[in-house]
Amino acid sequence: MASRNQGSAPRALVVEDIKIDCVILMHMLHKLNCEATAVENGKEAVDLFIEGKTFDIIFLHKDMPIMSGPEAVVKIRAMGATAVKIVGVSADFGGREAFMQAGADVFVPKPVKPETL
Amino acid sequence: MDYSNLRRQAASMKKSLFDQGYLDEQFCQVEDLQDEASPNFAEEVVTLFFKDSAKLISNVEQALEKYPKDFNRWDAYMQQLKGSCSSIGASRMKSECMSFRDYCGQGNVEGCMRSFQKVKREHGALRQKLEAYFQLLRQAGQLVLLELPPGPGCKN
Repeated sequence: MASRNQGSAPRALVVEDIKIDCVILMHMLHKLNCEATAVENGKEAVDLFIEGKTFDIIFLHKDMPIMSGPEAVVKIRAMGATAVKIVGVSADFGGREAFMQAGADVFVPKPVKPETL
Repeated sequence: MDYSNLRRQAASMKKSLFDQGYLDEQFCQVEDLQDEASPNFAEEVVTLFFKDSAKLISNVEQALEKYPKDFNRWDAYMQQLKGSCSSIGASRMKSECMSFRDYCGQGNVEGCMRSFQKVKREHGALRQKLEAYFQLLRQAGQLVLLELPPGPGCKN
């Protein structure tokens, strides 16, 4: 996983409403020496960007309360955050099209595997 | 009873869970995430799964009672449960969740009700089996500690 900041840990944001999926993904990212932050829905992710937070990579689940993953991707990209790698994650294979149309870089089916990261 | 025998029993129990279809490869992925810093990660994740899945099952149950024929709502709740099942490799539970969702798609109330009962049964069965598995692992782990040679300052 490439880091924008040479020599420092990659900063990852996990946007996931299902607790168990969040715990597993956060654990995988910590094992990869990422600084990982977790939020529970797309709106909380967008709010972090509004606050000026930056990340190297974001993992977003598709169907979440308040704001879905694809909706959040559209808003994040509209804010000018074009460099951050956005990974759409869903067990629903139809999620690929929704995420890629929204502006995600990659779609990964659930459950996310360590080798995928 | 020596720890190697307990470890063999645990391995055999785990194999049986796979052979009977209770678990799939994803469970191994979760166990593989364990390390020295998180030696009980798999058990922690499984504990979290059963805590969350109990709530999700309750949500489905309430939705079945309060929102008759609201297949979209029923399906949405079951989708969450199915997702959690996939995450820990709860294969038989996941299949029953998928069955329920199929019945939702068909607008089949009776099918949903029958399938939901199966989801609950699989949930109970898996909880029992995984509790036994982790208890066996803990027993094997405890015996490993007892068999370590005494270090300096030990009374034995």
